[in-house]
Amino acid sequence: MTALSRTPRETSVNLAVNLGGLSMKNPVTVASGTFAAGREYHDFVDVASLGAVTTKGVSLNGWEGNASPRIAETPSGMLNSIGLQNPGVAHLKEHELPWLAEVGATTIVNVSGHSFDEYVRVIEALEEAPVDAYEINISCPNVDAGGMTMGCHVPSVEKVVGMCREATKRPLIVKLTPNVTDITEIARAAEAAGADALSLINTLLGMAIDAKRRKPQLARVVGGFSGPAVKPVALRMVWQCHQAVKVPLLGMGGISTGIDAVEFMLAGATSVAVGTANFANPRATVDVIDGIIDYCEEQGVKDVNELIGALEC
Amino acid sequence: MSSLINENAVILSNQQVGPRLHLMVLEAPEIAARVAPGQFVHMKVPRMDDHILRRPFSIYAADAAAGTVDILYQVVGYGSDHMTGLEAGLCAELMGPVGTGWHAGENVERALLVAGGVGAAPLFMLAEQLVGRGVKLDVVLGAQTEQALVCRSRYEELLGCCPNCSTDDGTFGRPGFCTSLVEEALAVAENEGRPYDYLAVCGPEPLMRIVARLAQAHGVPAQVSMEKRMACGIGACLSCVVDTVDGKKRACVDGPVFDSQKVVW
Repeated sequence: MTALSRTPRETSVNLAVNLGGLSMKNPVTVASGTFAAGREYHDFVDVASLGAVTTKGVSLNGWEGNASPRIAETPSGMLNSIGLQNPGVAHLKEHELPWLAEVGATTIVNVSGHSFDEYVRVIEALEEAPVDAYEINISCPNVDAGGMTMGCHVPSVEKVVGMCREATKRPLIVKLTPNVTDITEIARAAEAAGADALSLINTLLGMAIDAKRRKPQLARVVGGFSGPAVKPVALRMVWQCHQAVKVPLLGMGGISTGIDAVEFMLAGATSVAVGTANFANPRATVDVIDGIIDYCEEQGVKDVNELIGALEC
Repeated sequence: MSSLINENAVILSNQQVGPRLHLMVLEAPEIAARVAPGQFVHMKVPRMDDHILRRPFSIYAADAAAGTVDILYQVVGYGSDHMTGLEAGLCAELMGPVGTGWHAGENVERALLVAGGVGAAPLFMLAEQLVGRGVKLDVVLGAQTEQALVCRSRYEELLGCCPNCSTDDGTFGRPGFCTSLVEEALAVAENEGRPYDYLAVCGPEPLMRIVARLAQAHGVPAQVSMEKRMACGIGACLSCVVDTVDGKKRACVDGPVFDSQKVVW
């Protein structure tokens, strides 16, 4: 077997993008929660060669997460109800962020909380740490407090984003849930409250049933739906938000190839995240970057920024 | 953390060996050379693109010289049913070798291995290792029927005698569950003045729980191999966690093998 490269191939195409003040060497990061803090994937991917590593959601103190089973496979997708299990921000600071800094990765930390105050305290705990941007998670469908409960209503979105904005000058990305009537309303609220960029979509709330046992497949009954099956929904929402706000977008939802990524950029995303695809293909991120390069070279695109919002319709 | 590889493995054979039980042999020289007893591979099953997750399979046997690994699988759902139709010559991506396998300490002198159903496969490389080390080894195999005792002949060849078997329907060995054989083996070893100093069990969770309690009652250190729904298989996604006295641990990399007293059953 020939060893596959852990880095994207060489190209003369400019791949660098700027996501609301965050410089990325290429437009590809990972969806929070699918990549831990990068170390587990380092056998397959040089994480420093990615546009950024987005870490698993971190809260102030450790969270146990939900009961098992936590996942279920569905046609062209999967459900998860992990529930933001994490060992807390001190552990991230002590063990993961120094490693990411040492290997030279660009780092986005996904910030979670049970309360408005907890988001701020997590950011405060990280202000001296090697972090390049924060992604504010107001969209996790698998927790009873914080997460999506905060991201579905304009007043709570304005409040939590405003409080985080006051806590840091670093680029602030707000991650949106698709489980709302009108995502552009939430996007505008986050932008108005000081977000530098928006990431979307988090998972769609779904469920799966074992008919023979008459039981839900997930212990929590409902969970977050991801994978190729959600891509059309994600593309539509990125396209809607691109028309609704001026801040740049980090698009995600079912991306597993370079062409998928290009589609998100055409719909208006400045950068993209690979999520569920990492599970089947641990090298998916590098494959996506290589696929973007292939597309640009074939299409005569010299700068990947030309693709952003270039959809003709 | 040991390094993982993703190997494009050619399926050399894929045959039914018992009721809903199939043996797949794959050419995977890099994994075959490195795999330790109790580790597994995470397989991207070919021709099943709308099923996006890999499937974990324990390694039944590895032949480093021939560069092959054997996987014993049971048909339990869409994916495993689909696998029965894969012909020799097709390629399957295998990531591995994954996980923390069995660990019988250097001082172990007498060991008991207990398998329920396809749990006999993940224990076989351990059996080979222990026999190679000169450990006095007893094996208990339980299955639903005689036809389902598909690993019996390999164990027989290795041990030079038939392992202690039970079948639910009484068609071979002791009728009923294998737990009575385990209780007897523990008692006999004690009475002989040479109690077991290591026990490994793999099978359905209720069986592992009962055997773990028996081992504990007899003061025998025991290990179990936990099976959970898994996504990434490399420790990142936290799908496959097992409740332990030290909190939730990942079956894929912290396990699949755990000390039985660490598991919160």
